[in-house]
Amino acid sequence: MTNNWIDIKNADVILVMGANPAENHPISMKWVMRAKDKGAKLIVVDPRFTRTATKADIYAPMRSGTDIAFLGGMIKYIIDKNLYFREYVANYTNASFLVNPEFKDASQLDGLFSGYDPQTRKYDKKTWAFQMDEKEIPKKDMTLKSPNCVFQLLRKQYARYTPEKVSSITGTPVEKLIEVYKTFGSTGKPDRSGTELYAMGWTQHTIGTQNIRAMSIIQLLLGNIGIAGGGINALRGESNVQGSTDNGLLFNSLPGYLAVPSASIKDLKAYIEKFTPKTKDPKSVNWWGNRSKYITSYLKAIYGKNATPENDFGYAWLPKLDEGMNASWLMLFDQMFKEKFEGFFAWGQNPACSSANAGKVRKALSKLKWMVNVNLFDNETGSFWKGPGMKPAEIQTEVFMLPACSSVEKEGSLTNSSRLAQWRYVAIKPIGESKPDSEIMNELYFRVKKLYKEKGGKFTEPIMNLTWDYGEMGADGKVKEVNIHNVAKEINGYYLEDVFDKKATPPKQLGKKGELCASFVHLQDDGTTSCGNWIFSQSYTQKEGKVINMMARRKKTDPTGLGLYPEWAWCWPVNRRILYNRASVDPKGNPWDPKRAVIKWNPNKVDPKTKEPAPGWDGDVPDGPAPPMSDEKGKYPFIMMSTGVGGIFGPGLADGPFPEHYEALECPLQENPMSKQRINPTVKIFYEQGKKGVVEDVFASCDVRFPFVGTTYRVTEHWQTGVMTRHVPWLLEMMPQQFVEMSEELAKEKGIKNGQKVKVSSARGEVWAIAVVTKRFKPFKVAGSTVHQVGLPWCFGWQHPEDGSGGDSSNLLTPTIGDANTMIPETKAFMVNVEKI
Amino acid sequence: MANDKPKGVLVDLTRCIGCRGCQVACKQWNERSVKKTVLTGNFTNPPELNSECYTNIKYIEQEKNGEPAWNFIKNQCLHCKNPACASVCPVEALKKTKDGPVTYTFERCIGCRYCMLACPFYVPKYEWEKAVPWVRKCTFCSERVANGLVPACIKVCPTQTMYYADYDEVRAEAEKRMADSPGKYVNHIYGKDEAGGTSWIYISGVPFETLGFNMAIPAQVFPDLTWSYINKIPSVIGVVLVAGAVSWAITRRNKNTDKEE
Repeated sequence: MTNNWIDIKNADVILVMGANPAENHPISMKWVMRAKDKGAKLIVVDPRFTRTATKADIYAPMRSGTDIAFLGGMIKYIIDKNLYFREYVANYTNASFLVNPEFKDASQLDGLFSGYDPQTRKYDKKTWAFQMDEKEIPKKDMTLKSPNCVFQLLRKQYARYTPEKVSSITGTPVEKLIEVYKTFGSTGKPDRSGTELYAMGWTQHTIGTQNIRAMSIIQLLLGNIGIAGGGINALRGESNVQGSTDNGLLFNSLPGYLAVPSASIKDLKAYIEKFTPKTKDPKSVNWWGNRSKYITSYLKAIYGKNATPENDFGYAWLPKLDEGMNASWLMLFDQMFKEKFEGFFAWGQNPACSSANAGKVRKALSKLKWMVNVNLFDNETGSFWKGPGMKPAEIQTEVFMLPACSSVEKEGSLTNSSRLAQWRYVAIKPIGESKPDSEIMNELYFRVKKLYKEKGGKFTEPIMNLTWDYGEMGADGKVKEVNIHNVAKEINGYYLEDVFDKKATPPKQLGKKGELCASFVHLQDDGTTSCGNWIFSQSYTQKEGKVINMMARRKKTDPTGLGLYPEWAWCWPVNRRILYNRASVDPKGNPWDPKRAVIKWNPNKVDPKTKEPAPGWDGDVPDGPAPPMSDEKGKYPFIMMSTGVGGIFGPGLADGPFPEHYEALECPLQENPMSKQRINPTVKIFYEQGKKGVVEDVFASCDVRFPFVGTTYRVTEHWQTGVMTRHVPWLLEMMPQQFVEMSEELAKEKGIKNGQKVKVSSARGEVWAIAVVTKRFKPFKVAGSTVHQVGLPWCFGWQHPEDGSGGDSSNLLTPTIGDANTMIPETKAFMVNVEKI
Repeated sequence: MANDKPKGVLVDLTRCIGCRGCQVACKQWNERSVKKTVLTGNFTNPPELNSECYTNIKYIEQEKNGEPAWNFIKNQCLHCKNPACASVCPVEALKKTKDGPVTYTFERCIGCRYCMLACPFYVPKYEWEKAVPWVRKCTFCSERVANGLVPACIKVCPTQTMYYADYDEVRAEAEKRMADSPGKYVNHIYGKDEAGGTSWIYISGVPFETLGFNMAIPAQVFPDLTWSYINKIPSVIGVVLVAGAVSWAITRRNKNTDKEE
């Protein structure tokens, strides 16, 4: 989230689209209701009338997979009706930037942008560049009138997204579209704020990243980024998934979202060169310009004394990707299916139910030589070999179960959607033989290290050279018990020597050797600091010699009244509660909305210790201490962008600098009503009949055998694939069986009664489900015909309840295809059939 | 918050999101188990209250102005001000406490189940399958209430659907919300008069009859219905005894007289 959970209460308008917070983040509805109690309006856009929609002032139905059409229409409406916040747009975004005149948008190239190569299915982004002046700074037209400026290109791109066109794609009635556009568009005023809440309903599409981009453009047009009650807010689906991605769980990131290098990046210098953005604009902070300090400090954290300037700080020991290699989820299981590797750790996951195309995954598991199921419970993954359709006698996979304990049986931090890391304590000791993940890793590490020592191995340095100062060492060389505080401290970072700010005269001491770092501002690229994760620097720190676990703080003071609670736990970065908050003030440093001031420039501020005048910011931790933009030393607000301003034109993505509507891989239409391009032109296609891929990856679009749009979602009563919740009798009692929700009209057509068992099938698999015939789904009028949509939860699996009464995973239906940028599987829009059994 | 005034709860049905945190919190506090359920096509589960389930949320779908509408009704014992169950109980196993909760004491219960017949809302349930069966129903978390704590279901609710305070404050809050937002609520407080008034009262955005509420419960204290008859029983017994004694005396005198003749 750019903002945070509590900040939702500050909004005038809340748009929920691609999410269902009442069901999946029910505590968040506390803040939604607080906002409503103050008169805020809730808009819910969803294919189905959900529990969240029951509280909506406006509910707009929309066919799954058509969010860009919907949002593109909103962009057009905001521009046409002059609802955008002009001063914000001109000063704080790249709307004024001039683009290469050879750039062509999707309206000119019938769904494509300039530079597309149909052979490689990639874009040459040469024309997606800004025109630069002699100082190598992008040329601007502050009047926003030049035909090549981003603002006019934006208007051109979305000229096709008229309400009528959008309605015929999304199935949303025109009046509803206008009502939504008008209400949300009303937050373009300086003293009005609109927030957006999204989750997998937006991300799990082949155009997922562009869905988010479309909303980012809207929020920048309306001046809703950086303000209270605004922002782009992802509702994370797990209590610590934010912490996981923060700490480099994804294949392509190191902790702190540093890039994982490919093998062709030969040394640290080349890495720093490639990944450090540059700018010649003195007003742009360009915070990623500090990249070298973070990667070097990271290497010092993991390799400690073994990492020296002479050996490039151990850069050679960092795992590298092969050139062009993509090790994302879909690719991983595809490689497993093709027997490219022998072993697999299913660590805290249940891919046999959670993965798109779960049937292919179950088959893939049967090809492994061994696998390890690290989980609280046995599940469909650990017991895959006993599952439906499996022949245990023919399966050679050796399966190990390592019981893990739950989050209430171990100490540590959880980082939630608000980027807030909250420290937790042990409520009960781990039961039976279950262990915390850190202990399991500790065991594995020392056994691997011991084997390497005794038997040698290929390229053992990356393991042998790791620091592992996590607790008291036993005589055998193994850490007896992991002290999670040591891990937290390593993540925060240390001054390895006395560190000085050499730019100051006289040089000012920043930190003392051996002490915990104050924040990432002090990190160095010369090996004198270590830091396991730069964005977490300050989370476990030292102030005047005293060690403080910032994440354990629980003070309830709220000086601004906006719900920032600056001393409750700690959020990254540096406890800044609302990101990009420099955009919440005008160029002089005065809040656009004084009633909800996030930060405010205070020229009369006094240093509390020295009593000297120290003009500075009041309120939230500002995005850098620099004075307001209009000041001579002032800076632009979007400090993580090399240009310093918000990106309306976004050349960094694989599939276009502007979002464009494409249909899902499997859709109900022969053609995309918006253009000639039916699907995202840059997605990886896994299967082409007779040409490539395995038949397990087959897909069927606009196919009479699978005429209904299918989607998956969650329910309050279960969590993820239900590995934990199906074992809780109170929860299973409330939600005992797999179901499929459908409209009364579709049920009538197929002769299906409410509560009847039916079969739902796709080109890849089938499940039985109890029919929930409801008014909350209604048929869509799309491109002149009636399109039905159905939906299933994905929380059930054959393994438990043991009598099979729960049903099996709806991911047996979903396709092998992912987003063009992230490869997140497209599980929210595919085609199915529903029949009586 | 423990004082001598009886507590009440206002259930504002416009706030509930149907998350069922209350249903689970109740199970946890009261150490309830489960009964096997199936999905019937409606998410209400279990479909009725039972000996392991003191509260559930009922899911009611309808249409309002051509758009779907979905309401979630918190269903449990209403803790009547003058409960029929306590009135009919021959051994005072069910009792209306001064704090508000209608409590059940197993040690006094003789298993006659007269309470189950008497309750106009069909709330009390029986542990038919147990060798030592209890009558089971919502306790209004009487031990929590007595110790100044908030009942479990109310504590976990994320949207403050239930407003818990002294009954008089709760009644006033219901009326205030209806006056402050004309048109938002239907003009009825369920439980104000039904069965002579209940501790748990409801306000709603759609008509109560569409939500499965029984609108035929008389606005009358139930024990009063039979009191006019029951309070005459001692007199009737007295009359019968006297009439019997006189009749015996006359019969005996007649027999003696017959014998003499």
